[in-house]
Amino acid sequence: MNNSFARLIDGMNATLRSEVLSRLDDEFARGQVFGVINLLNTFKVRADWSTGFLLEQLAVQRTALDGVAALMQGWPEAATLPALPPPGVPASVPIAELLAQRDSANRAIGELLGWLDAQRAQGSQLPAQVAADIEQLLRTAMRSELAIELKNSPRPLFAEMSSGSED
Amino acid sequence: MTTLIDDATLAPKIADYLATQLGHAVTVGAVRRFPVGFSWLTYAVPVTGIDGGKTTQELILRLGPDYGLFAPYSAGPQVLSMQSLEGSAVPVPRAYWSSDDLSILGAPFMFCEKVSGDAVVPWVSANEPGLEEGYRKRLAEQFIDALAALHCVPWQSKPVAAMAHGITADNAALLNVQHWESQIARWAMRPYPQAEWGLRWLKAHCPVAPRVAIVHGDYRTGNFLEQGGRITAILDWELVHLGDPHEDLGWASLPMYMGGSKLICRLAEPEWFYARYAEKAGFEVSMRLVRYYQALSLLKLAATHMAAARCFEEGRFNDMRMPAMGSQIATCLRQMEKTIEAAA
Repeated sequence: MNNSFARLIDGMNATLRSEVLSRLDDEFARGQVFGVINLLNTFKVRADWSTGFLLEQLAVQRTALDGVAALMQGWPEAATLPALPPPGVPASVPIAELLAQRDSANRAIGELLGWLDAQRAQGSQLPAQVAADIEQLLRTAMRSELAIELKNSPRPLFAEMSSGSED
Repeated sequence: MTTLIDDATLAPKIADYLATQLGHAVTVGAVRRFPVGFSWLTYAVPVTGIDGGKTTQELILRLGPDYGLFAPYSAGPQVLSMQSLEGSAVPVPRAYWSSDDLSILGAPFMFCEKVSGDAVVPWVSANEPGLEEGYRKRLAEQFIDALAALHCVPWQSKPVAAMAHGITADNAALLNVQHWESQIARWAMRPYPQAEWGLRWLKAHCPVAPRVAIVHGDYRTGNFLEQGGRITAILDWELVHLGDPHEDLGWASLPMYMGGSKLICRLAEPEWFYARYAEKAGFEVSMRLVRYYQALSLLKLAATHMAAARCFEEGRFNDMRMPAMGSQIATCLRQMEKTIEAAA
């Protein structure tokens, strides 16, 4: 792709609005188009090109560049080779692993909430201040995760999806 | 993958079913699906010959498909509640036939009377002007009065009593929270500790209800029809249950339904809403309970959005409104936390 991800989303949205919606009479179908626009807006702020796709491209490039360097090794003309980018790519973590890690941490936070309730109910020796500090930490984490989510959420188009039109 | 609209085969099946129920043949015209609703499908069905003559009457058919948001469905609660409200001051369409037998129309269904009117949409764009003052006030009065009337129905002697399941004023809140806890366990595709925290708080602060009443469960703008400033029917009874009447007050007063205004459901000033409701319902509204049920309502809404996300993810159907709803879970949980903090 030669265009940026965000520009492509903007282009798709504009086309749907100006070229598709303007020719679509069915109210339900129009609502569905607004549903698609709503999702595209979300992708624009949260998504980018797949790292797997780019890593694949980088790998084939690297094979070629490393191959040239290997072939030229020992030849005097190697001194005139254009500068080649250094080998190696930044460490990349698969998104699926990050999602699994987030879920695992959230599961642990949920279990800690239950554990804390049980400690309090059983009248354990845990000082009240420590329990309060733990609760505060957990609540701050939960609140912050939601805040990050909300910061990256475009305005939902429920009015448009329900009515099939926008003002 | 089930298609969103597969209506062509419905008409002959409806004709067969109605003929069996009526004992004589009828003719069913082209069924028309309404674009409204996120769960049950709603159709207008023109039927000729219900009375044995040549008159054409339009019926409403509600279908709960197995790929729907809250599937599997049963027509029972809606039918029982609508039958229980016949002759009351709550305007409801008359319920006719219903069945959960999938072999008839492919999904649980109910037929009811078609009532004239249009729905007032709760979600409006920021630039949308408010409703005209006199019109708004007239609708608001009826909206409040119908809710109060619903909560005054002596349900113990009505068909809806079949849904009581041992509910009392003391356990109404806990049963409700437990129900939504089980729904979240069923629908959530990943852990939501904020929802767990909310459930814990709600369980620890269960109030005693002033009475057990029929609770609509989704009482808001968008779920009634109006014509010429008159509310002609309260619709969408799929979340109906018995419980604390404050639940409907909490749900109706959610910020999501204010459409950018400060009015409950874009209709009523909060103070006036609660005062008029209390006068008509015959008990004092507890703002502590309203806030409690606002928090539960926000959790319900988050759960509904979890159901929407799962429904779409499992490929049950491709309605593009589902993932849009699914993106609102965080909004509901954040609002729930704020509501609980203010109530605590």
